[in-house]
Amino acid sequence: MALLTRTARRALLETRFPLPPAFLLPLRAHITTVSHNLETDNVPEPLIRSGQHISQDLKDKVQSPPQLPSDAPPPASPASRPSPHARDSIISTTITPTIRALLPLLATQPTHYITIHIHGRPYLLTQGDTLRLPFQMPHVRPGDVLRMNRATHIGSRDYTLKAPEPVKGNADHVKKVYYLDERLFTCRARVIAVETEPVRVEEKTKRRQRHVKHVYSKMYFTVLRISELEVKGLEEYEALVGE
Amino acid sequence: MSYFRITLMRSGIGLPQKTQGVLKALGLRKRMTTVYYPVSQSVAGQILRIKELVDVKEVSAPMTKEQMRASRRPDPGYYIEQKAGEAMWGYK
Repeated sequence: MALLTRTARRALLETRFPLPPAFLLPLRAHITTVSHNLETDNVPEPLIRSGQHISQDLKDKVQSPPQLPSDAPPPASPASRPSPHARDSIISTTITPTIRALLPLLATQPTHYITIHIHGRPYLLTQGDTLRLPFQMPHVRPGDVLRMNRATHIGSRDYTLKAPEPVKGNADHVKKVYYLDERLFTCRARVIAVETEPVRVEEKTKRRQRHVKHVYSKMYFTVLRISELEVKGLEEYEALVGE
Repeated sequence: MSYFRITLMRSGIGLPQKTQGVLKALGLRKRMTTVYYPVSQSVAGQILRIKELVDVKEVSAPMTKEQMRASRRPDPGYYIEQKAGEAMWGYK
């Protein structure tokens, strides 16, 4: 039995090396300078294509362009792109649940403050404040009553109602500035005076000249007093919004 | 008809005279200047010469300089409710 297995193993080993050594074999390969690998005649077609295999997924992708989801917003039309530095004032009029819950508390707490914006500059004020504007307001005289309609904050001791933060503009969208609804509050200011400053004298000199030029300037400032500041209650505001 | 909105984002200082000449021809004098031109081949070619310096968008209508100024201007934030002396008008 052992002998049989040995002969069988030998038989197997012999079949593994059936060819005689290479130098005994006749010279079968052509001697050529062309690489055998580059000859496409005897290489099957799928093997040639194997390097540039295109998957079915890619074929599908090329066949059908990408589809946006049906609920995607439409692309911005060129018309909605004004000047790159433009600003957009947005007045939010929605009554959020927070406003619904907290506006009565804010309205009933006395002494409110407000941040009004005049020509885009904020001024934090309460009733009775005197505000000297850093410019002369055009077309107003002392005694005129102004109505303020742009505010970002209304607050009391414990509560503050804030407008959303402004969004900085870039090349794609304009700057967005959010204000509180002007129906939420009544803010009136009376023009009480036009102040002036002492004359400024600036001496202008040139080198190697004895002459000194004096340049005079005098600024005028409008002074306002906040005569009325009232925050509307929720019912009153809802009635105004509902109209 | 659509227009190119071209804004000079980077200055042309230190660039070759040819490039600066294109900026001058387009009317881009200093940074952040915005000009509008109708979409055409010649303008597209000019934009390509200075494409590293500008921001280009296609818009449907051009804006004048006054309109651009007005769009930058913030709200005044007030209006005159009552002129001085008007309060007594009813009593005269």
